[in-house]
This record gives sequence, structure tokens and C-alpha cells, in this order.
Amino acid sequence: MEPNQAAEHLQTIRTLMERSAIYRRALAPIMTYCGVVGIAGGIAGNLLPIDSGRGFVLFWAAVAAVALGGSFLLVRRQALKESEPFWSPPTRRVTEALIPPLFVGAILGAYAIHSSGDPSMCTLLVLIWCVLFGLAIHAAGFFMPRGLKWFGWLFIIIGCLWLPICSAAGVPSPDNFFWGLNGFMGAIFGGLHLAYGIYLYFTEKRGPTL
Amino acid sequence: MNPEPFLQLDRVIHEKGRLAIMSMLAATPGLSFTELREALGMTDGNLTTHIRTLQEGGFVAVNKSLANKRPLTTCTLTAAGRKAFTSYIDVLEQIVRQHKPK
Repeated sequence: MEPNQAAEHLQTIRTLMERSAIYRRALAPIMTYCGVVGIAGGIAGNLLPIDSGRGFVLFWAAVAAVALGGSFLLVRRQALKESEPFWSPPTRRVTEALIPPLFVGAILGAYAIHSSGDPSMCTLLVLIWCVLFGLAIHAAGFFMPRGLKWFGWLFIIIGCLWLPICSAAGVPSPDNFFWGLNGFMGAIFGGLHLAYGIYLYFTEKRGPTL
Repeated sequence: MNPEPFLQLDRVIHEKGRLAIMSMLAATPGLSFTELREALGMTDGNLTTHIRTLQEGGFVAVNKSLANKRPLTTCTLTAAGRKAFTSYIDVLEQIVRQHKPK
């Protein structure tokens, strides 16, 4: 064996080892938690007196922070329970895959807060959030069990269909504009996560994690 | 050139397909047959043959179980397999080091 061949072999081994380190934390509790937070957000959003685009974006940014923070704690608890490092290479790769679309979503939200907070802008923002979240999940799906990519696709498709369907159906109507948007956010982000979480509780493999 | 490191390369692991399987298993607690097949782009027959060879060499353990009422074949690296894999890597590194310009 030539030395450069040996070096190539080592590089291939390294690549394969990295690729095989699939993220295997139990997703059922995380998905269920995010689902409950999302649905609670949808209900709370309609109970609170939100009547501006700025209020809507700030409220959902807070819901996202609660969901993200809780998920972080759940992952950390799993890692501690398994006596494994929290910031493992698969966790790092999943995080890296999630960040770009979520970052864009956050920037767009910040822009909406900073700008006039025009309510009509919120319909478009919800559509973009939905697609970006789907893209983030789909990207993370490359390092996670296969079903997650489909979950990401669901958000992408719903996001793409949302605007034409709403335009055709005339919803959310101007009379209860934010009621409709909060309901959509709760149903899509909360409902889908909860449904997937329940599905995973019955199907997820129990075993060693990474 | 010192030929010693070349002679130490394990013949069973040295084959491209088997080395790929060993590399993937070395980084995880275990992988299913399907995960290995999809990641390595091997056919069922090819993968089965390589896994059998590794199993016979004592490098890989195969566990058959049922998951969601469907058969699940899981492959894991044995202690001997992990040791052989580490030694193989050491030899490769030795070869690279030996020829590194000083």
C-alpha cells in the first residue's frame, strides 16, 4: 500500500464514521412538548389582546423561545441520563443544519417587529416561517432517522399551499385576522408536532442513543 | 522502506466494503442492516456476504429481533472487532507517518 493510499483510506474511514453517527435522542418527548407548547400558544394567542403585527410576531417569538428552551433541556436531560456528552458530534451536526433557515426566520421576524408591523405582512410571514421551519427540519433529517425528512416536507408543502388556499377561501378574514393566524400557528406548529410526537411514542426504537 | 506495517494489515478488514462497514459500526452503538445498506449503497447480497465474513472473523455481532412486528437485523462491533479496527487505523497512520517528508 502506498502512503497516499493509506492517507486516502484514513480520510474515507473518517468520513464514514462521521456519516454513521446518526442523532438518536428520543424525539417523542421533544415533539410532544413542542406540540403542547404550540397548541397552548395558539389558544393563548387568541385569548390575549393581540391586535398588531408587532404583537403577533413578539408573541410567537416568545412561544418559539419556550419551545426551543424546553427542547434543549429535554435533550440535555437525556444526555445526562445516558451519561453521554450533550454536545456530541451528531448534536452539533443537527444544530448546524437547523440554524440557517431558523436564523432567516428570526431575522424576518425581527424585521417585521422593527418595521411598521403591518398586519397583512403577518400572513406572508407565517407562510415563510412554515416553509423555513420545514427546510430546517428537512436539513436536520439528513442526520436523523428517516421519518424526520417527511415531517419537514409536510411543513414545506403546507407553507407553499397556505397562501393560495387562504386567498381563495378569504381567510383569515379582516374581522378576526389574528384569531385566524394564531389558530393556524397553533394547529400547524402545535398540532403537527403533537401528532408526530404521539406517533413516535408508539414507533420509536428504544435503545442506545448517541 | 520498512515493510513491517504493510504485513500487519488485517486481510479481513482491508477489503473496501468490509472496511466501510467496520468504519460505520465503529462510530455507533449499532446500525440496522437497512441503515448500513442505504449508507453504503450496497446490494442486499453484497452486504450480507461482507457481514457474514466479518461475523466469522469475530469482528461483528449480528442480532435479529422484532421491531413493530417486523424483523430487525442489527449489527454491532464486537470487542475484538473494535480492537482490530483500532490496530488497522494505527497501521495506516504508521504508514503515512513513515513516508512523511521530514
